[in-house]
Amino acid sequence: MPRIVFVDAEGKSTEVQAEEGQSVMSAAVQNGIDAIAAECGGSCACGTCHCYIDGAWADRLPSPDYQEQDMLDCVVNPEERSRLSCQITVSDALDGLVVHLPAGQY
Amino acid sequence: MAETLSTQSRVEAAFAPLSPDFARDPYPTYKALRDKGGLHYFEDFDIWLASRFEDVSAIVMDKRMVRSLEDIATSEEIAAIQRAGNWHDMPHHSRFVQFSLLDSDGAVHDRLRKQVFKLFTPAMIAKLRDQIQAYVDRLIDSLADRGQIDFVDDLAAHVPGHIIGRLLGVPDEDCPQLRIWSENIVQFFDVDRSDERKRIAETNTTEFYEYLTALKHERERSPKDDLISVLIEAERAGAMSSDEFISTCMLILMAGHGSTIDVLGSGMHALLRFPEQMARLRRDPALIQTAVQEMFRYESPLPFFHRHCIEEVEIGGRNFARGTKFGLLYGAANRDPKQFENADTFDIGRTPNRHLAFGGGVHFCLGNHLARLDMDIIFSTLLRRFPTIELVDEKPEYKRGLSVRGPKRLQIAIKPT
Repeated sequence: MPRIVFVDAEGKSTEVQAEEGQSVMSAAVQNGIDAIAAECGGSCACGTCHCYIDGAWADRLPSPDYQEQDMLDCVVNPEERSRLSCQITVSDALDGLVVHLPAGQY
Repeated sequence: MAETLSTQSRVEAAFAPLSPDFARDPYPTYKALRDKGGLHYFEDFDIWLASRFEDVSAIVMDKRMVRSLEDIATSEEIAAIQRAGNWHDMPHHSRFVQFSLLDSDGAVHDRLRKQVFKLFTPAMIAKLRDQIQAYVDRLIDSLADRGQIDFVDDLAAHVPGHIIGRLLGVPDEDCPQLRIWSENIVQFFDVDRSDERKRIAETNTTEFYEYLTALKHERERSPKDDLISVLIEAERAGAMSSDEFISTCMLILMAGHGSTIDVLGSGMHALLRFPEQMARLRRDPALIQTAVQEMFRYESPLPFFHRHCIEEVEIGGRNFARGTKFGLLYGAANRDPKQFENADTFDIGRTPNRHLAFGGGVHFCLGNHLARLDMDIIFSTLLRRFPTIELVDEKPEYKRGLSVRGPKRLQIAIKPT
């Protein structure tokens, strides 16, 4: 099972085991990562599963589609590596993915 | 379909969502539905009711579940369904209310939501804080000496309509009328759709349409920094039709209007029923954000929505044919002990609190941040200004119906000491 490391705004890391095919958001929610609010449940409709993808990993993910890009314009403190975790699908190729969490989603 | 149902799949005869007992306390009924497991067929409404968090959540997130009938029925079939549900012969209601951002799916929904979404993001809504605070302060100033108020009518009812109205561009003096139109139109979405209710819904839609058309013409002549001017531009750019313009304005003014008043009322009532929680909020005002979320979970103000499936689906271990209508009982799902520890306990510090009161999926409530901010400011201000707040009427009457939840009135005593 691919591992994902979530690093919160204070720098604390939590490693979780994700399932292939699920979203990074869903892996976070199932493992009690509360900084991922994911209020719409993963439909790219609320912008509350915002995260930052670590370093080299950012280039290894497919680019956000236009819908995700529109939402990313609306999140709090967007950066170049901002993504919506509901739009990233976990696969073995992402084993070890490091995801930084924002201080807040609002 | 009904003939083939086992009795176990039907809701009990005792399921009476329009009864005074259900209005007083719907939660035992919701518990009974959850405990029976699976979905339950409610014949009066030809709908399968989902009550467990897992099932409701699966339905709202499923892309095969839609609001509109367009993809699953012919125009003749839709006309027949409308006649059966008494939705027909309502020219303005069908143009502007039955069709909307809320009742569209796919590309149409995406296009309409895109026109307004950016104005309802947390960052945009946060900019309204000072003006909401100023309005709430003035309102509370005008009530402070009364000693006793009806929290619903004297306070809660004024705020959401005023703020949404201002955001859209409705002059302050017209905002009270928005509540009347809004409530008179929304009441027709309940399970009781009599001819009288229908007449009220259509008449009010017509008046609202005429009002918005006049306001639109005024803004076309002199645009302002408001949502109506943004939508006028969207229509000019070809992003929405003139009917979609009216429908979107109406939806924004109605969708979170009565429901915010209702959850303000039930939230206040919950703080008064559980004084230790009010005391906790007084001691730690920073809990207001989780407190507001808990108010939405504990007494979800819009406890019932529907979806149709566009292909055969399996929910809760049972197959359902294409076109089946599902009822989502958010009020029941939000008290599901499998999802929420001590689900019947009102806990203002509950976190995480992944409730479904704002729905989910692509139709997730657009105005949720605005509703939460209104509530944050009203409760924080009231608690700061009145060290004593007490319930006067111990058993306030709640609205009847499956699709609304909130007290009709809430008499409270407010004391500055």
